[in-house]
Amino acid sequence: MSAESSLPINDLKERAAWLRRRVFEMVMQHREGHVPSSFSMAEILTLLYYGGVARLRRGAPDWPDRDRILVSKGHAAHALYPILADLDYFDSAELERFTQPGSFLGMYADNRVPGIEGISGSLGHGLGMGAGFALSARMEGRDFRTFVVLGDGECYEGSVWESAMFAAHHGLDNLVAIVDRNALCILGRTEDLVRLGSLADKWRSFGWAVEEVDGHDLAALRAAMDRIGSTDGLPLAIVANTVKGKGVSFMEGRAEWHNRMPSPEQEAQARQELGLAGASGHD
Amino acid sequence: MTETQTAAAPPPLMRDAFIDRLTEAAGQHDDILFISADFGAKALDRFRQDRAGQFLHAGISEQNMVDLAAGLALSGKRVFLYAMAPFLTLRCLEQIKATLAAMRLPVSLLGVGVGLGYDHATLTHFAIEDLACLRAMNGMEVLTAADAPSAVAMADLCLASPALRYVRLDRQGLTALAPPLEKAADLAPGLRQISDGGGIAVLTCGALCHAALEAAAQLGGEGQPPKVIDLYRIKPLSAPALLEALQGCRAIVTVEEQLLDGGFGSAVAETLLDAGAMLPMRRLGLRDGFVVENGHRDRLWRNFGIDAQAIAQAVREMAPASA
Repeated sequence: MSAESSLPINDLKERAAWLRRRVFEMVMQHREGHVPSSFSMAEILTLLYYGGVARLRRGAPDWPDRDRILVSKGHAAHALYPILADLDYFDSAELERFTQPGSFLGMYADNRVPGIEGISGSLGHGLGMGAGFALSARMEGRDFRTFVVLGDGECYEGSVWESAMFAAHHGLDNLVAIVDRNALCILGRTEDLVRLGSLADKWRSFGWAVEEVDGHDLAALRAAMDRIGSTDGLPLAIVANTVKGKGVSFMEGRAEWHNRMPSPEQEAQARQELGLAGASGHD
Repeated sequence: MTETQTAAAPPPLMRDAFIDRLTEAAGQHDDILFISADFGAKALDRFRQDRAGQFLHAGISEQNMVDLAAGLALSGKRVFLYAMAPFLTLRCLEQIKATLAAMRLPVSLLGVGVGLGYDHATLTHFAIEDLACLRAMNGMEVLTAADAPSAVAMADLCLASPALRYVRLDRQGLTALAPPLEKAADLAPGLRQISDGGGIAVLTCGALCHAALEAAAQLGGEGQPPKVIDLYRIKPLSAPALLEALQGCRAIVTVEEQLLDGGFGSAVAETLLDAGAMLPMRRLGLRDGFVVENGHRDRLWRNFGIDAQAIAQAVREMAPASA
């Protein structure tokens, strides 16, 4: 486990703020990336990596007993890069080369990146892969767990539900799906586009244990994660209600910011709100 | 297809031959996993009984099956995916591309009923675009078995040299061809000459090898036997092996149970073109805009112009051009 693997809530809040700052800097450097989709899951990732949830070893991305974490909403998987660098999986200097020629840190994450367990980008693959990890752990008698972070828009993909049914049938209680329910797609609100309705009800009806929480409330997320291992043999789904763009006021809840880059004035405002020193620049 | 029906004992099904080889290996290697999307075989019944812990039913959920296989392969498992060919391939093409091919995972895809094998089921069950689609996948190897021994050789290859590989099996049992393919090493060239002749070469694979042999027998009676080549590995297609096999040939006819666009003949033409060794060539296969009539496979072959008579006629027509 990493040294900071079980920080108190207040320190975790600071960690989530740190993650937002690092992601924002990384994205703004070459103006490539998805900020709002990253920010809606900042607390989710913070809790997984620093909240004493995932068992990991600093500097050892290939440790066989590590918990597996897949960010299946691949457009935002780059939000993991600052964390993986912080865990000494690779040199943090690489973050400055995000999306640049020759760098292994692409807009979409693949398993050439130390700490990235499986490729993501197109949606609907992570849960199936995660079920594969969880099943292999079961077969080999290993006790690592698998966490898959899905987007709510991703839940439109039929393959998600194929895999959900499969995982429930096999009683994969070593598998956790966390749905980043930020309620937005590229073109608008999910409920206006094609209604997702109650995702909690859907996961429950597919045979999963379900927790629904405020996805920015670290204590609530931690309480939901505490159910791992006490679900009577069911896989666990955590529907985390979030705000897309959380942390930058003018991006919050606004679909059009999915992949838009801020003007210099907007960037300055965002940096201020995120607590980044200096109004702008590529420091 | 008459030759398959006249023998007293019908030839073994390729799927049974393949799976029996796997069952034998699975007993020694716990890392072998066999996953079916609700498709069976007599040999699979044995596998499920003997190696229950190494069998999974994915549900009639091919997309889940492929993503699941990716996770299992990343965990060090040797995974075999099994389904009817049309569903194993086109149903989950994106999964194959985005997980298996993108991460270059050594998963074996085992598709049964290629081409027009499910003759009565018609369009949904025809696998007539699978060659074009799967050979377009980065790093994908594509093999077609023409008899049970070659299916065993392909199973042997999957075990000996794990790679991302699509193995195409016929629905029907087909008589064994010579020279035999029996083990992984036999598959190295990617093709075999199954009938000697000259002037014109007929290239095909799978069940149509048997139609090509029938055509060759007819043409032999006319004193102009073509060389018949079972090009069982369409990707990677070995240009040196192909050029060597075509030595002495002045023209070629390709025959496939596929839409011609991007299929078998395309692969042959591309290889020859890239090698600067293009020959006069005629492709037999399903043409864009084709219409299906109900009927047995032999009737479908006749209607689509890929049966023995059509092959023989194409060779006759090519002969003057190459004389």
